Amino acid sequence: MKSLFFAIVFKELKSFMRSAALVAVVLYSFTIDIYVAGEGIDIEPRNVAVGYVDNSGGGISKKILSNLHSPEFVAPVQFLSQKELSNAIYNKEIMVGLVFDNDFEKLYREKKNTQLNVLLDATSASQGFTTLMYLQSILLSFEDIQIPLELKIHKLFNQNSDNKSFMALSELLSLITMLVVILTAIVFVKEKEDGTWDIMLLMPIDAKLTILAKTLSQVIIVMGGVILSLGFVIFGMFDTPMNGSFWSFIFLTFLYTFSSAGIGLFVAAIAKDVMQVAQFSIVIMIPLIFLSGAWTPVYTMHPFFQVLSFFSPLRYYIEGSESIFYRGTPFLDLYPYYFGVMILGFILYIIGFKKIGRLF
Amino acid sequence: MKSFVRFSVIKAFVLKELTELVRTKLIIMVYMMPSMVTILFGYGIAMDVTHSRISIIDNDNSKYSSELISKFSHSKYFDVTLTHESEAEALEAIKKAQSDIVLIIPSSFEKNLLKGQKSELGVFIDAAFANRASTMQNYVQGVIQSAATTSAPMITLNTRTLFNQAMRDEDAIVPGLIGLVLLVAPAILTALLIVKEKEKGTIFNFYASPIGKLEFLIAKLLPVLMLHSLNIFILFIWATYLFDVPFRGSFFLYWLSSEIYILISLSIGMLISIIAKRQIVAVVLTVIITILPAFLYSGMLMPISSMQGISWVEAHIFPVMYYNHILYDTFLIGQGFDSPKIVLYLCILIGYVVALLGLGALFLKKEMR
Repeated sequence: MKSLFFAIVFKELKSFMRSAALVAVVLYSFTIDIYVAGEGIDIEPRNVAVGYVDNSGGGISKKILSNLHSPEFVAPVQFLSQKELSNAIYNKEIMVGLVFDNDFEKLYREKKNTQLNVLLDATSASQGFTTLMYLQSILLSFEDIQIPLELKIHKLFNQNSDNKSFMALSELLSLITMLVVILTAIVFVKEKEDGTWDIMLLMPIDAKLTILAKTLSQVIIVMGGVILSLGFVIFGMFDTPMNGSFWSFIFLTFLYTFSSAGIGLFVAAIAKDVMQVAQFSIVIMIPLIFLSGAWTPVYTMHPFFQVLSFFSPLRYYIEGSESIFYRGTPFLDLYPYYFGVMILGFILYIIGFKKIGRLF
Repeated sequence: MKSFVRFSVIKAFVLKELTELVRTKLIIMVYMMPSMVTILFGYGIAMDVTHSRISIIDNDNSKYSSELISKFSHSKYFDVTLTHESEAEALEAIKKAQSDIVLIIPSSFEKNLLKGQKSELGVFIDAAFANRASTMQNYVQGVIQSAATTSAPMITLNTRTLFNQAMRDEDAIVPGLIGLVLLVAPAILTALLIVKEKEKGTIFNFYASPIGKLEFLIAKLLPVLMLHSLNIFILFIWATYLFDVPFRGSFFLYWLSSEIYILISLSIGMLISIIAKRQIVAVVLTVIITILPAFLYSGMLMPISSMQGISWVEAHIFPVMYYNHILYDTFLIGQGFDSPKIVLYLCILIGYVVALLGLGALFLKKEMR
């Protein structure tokens, strides 16, 4: 039994290694793809392009502008007329336009109410809002208005709000899901397509054993990728904090990949060919990712979705990994996540065994 | 090879491909996936952080402190809980992900304020999700600033937000989702069309038949293009009726650029299908190289003008940016063909189609390898 099990695992691993292109694609996903995701995006406003029209001709506008500096802003660009400025905003070359009117300086010197006109491209709404907040606080500090309150802000778990490591980590988590589901599903469907699966089931081997061995082989491939990616990208390129235990993350990842392979199994059960696998797995994975809280926290969702989200294994995985990396939750306190992933995996395998483990 | 395409041959092939797509029930997927993604994510992605769970420890219990607390309770961004826990207990709740922010009001709060001395408020924010943390920080600062500035500042900001006046998340996200869906869905469909035949051996029919390379490519792409063209209209209806995104530009421009964009997506899938030898490679490769760029370079998460270095270059390599520029223009801005930049971007998109199809024809071999 045991030797048979490992024979199947090795057979699948070998057939994976034989396809150089597949190995290359998987390697690419676990390294460069994750690097690009981490390096590419800052959700906080950085390098906001500012343009201005200065009709006040004075020193105060210059002083205000000199407060707009990196990393939040690039050096402001001067435009000669408001029309040119708004053209640049329409063409998305400039995100924030400041217009100093003729009487701006005069009014300010006379200590009257002064208006600074702001044109803001609010296509990405949250960045627009944050940029406004920056401008507001720059003005406050410029006018030297004393607020009798001082805020002592502590950011827990990720002190400098390092977005890069966070983006890279989220990309890794969704990549694990996509790869393990697609790879597992195709392994089975290929055999179905070629007709070898029926022969497999006719042989005097327990179908459950074959199914488990085949899924394990794909789990091994993905786990290999995860370790590579942790070493070279997550810890190598980005200074991702690791406040919890490395091994509890590996353990959780193993449980999670195994139960996600169950989703692959389910996809394989309903799909007839690889084309259908591609379509079904995306249609199934998108709600799973959506319900996991990867994009919006679960508690802000509609109550109905909140209930549904208990059925997304990715939810347990993301919350668990986040706790391990950033919050440093100890191994034993992570048990809800282990159990959540395990129970869902168990159900998926039962369905999988029933659906494709039988000949008729 | 014949120099020109014969329409009767193409017609026969297109009929065959269409029948196959309908028979395998893929036709449901063609329409289900794009709408599902748009609707789920349109409702789902909220960039705005509302209902952050803030626990306030009021050590002062004074008039001023309760005024400050009421400012938080009246904001839609916060769900306030007043606790009498110790600081350590409140922090433990953050650690268990049961609360997002802890605000501590010191015992001498009112006294200091009346004396005109500075008092210090302690704020603890869960920064595991980094960008959510910065947004929450800004909101906290906003509430406290507005509560504290009794004397009006002299310079007031007179803000005109363009394009998305109400700063609605839907307006910002839904057009971007169309750009995402129309890149991913057609590509996944075409990525398998040719490699499937290679794996099954039916590609020999093509090798042996007198059909030309160009005719073969057109026959493979045309059915998918026809099917996905309908999605342009379906997605438009979701965006404008379901999500109330304004539409200010020309519908013709929207339709034209979307058709070109679908062609690009088809050609990417087709190119992968021509190069790959196994279906599994084609599927994984398509998913990897379309989904991520479609998100990153959509302008939804980060304006292109703020990108620098590698990401700036990459954003300009992928077609997403050019299409999304036109897309956001037709929905939110409405300059249309008057803007030279849009005409330029449209030409760039056409350039992509020509280049990708050319590459496809170049790599497609009509003989055994």
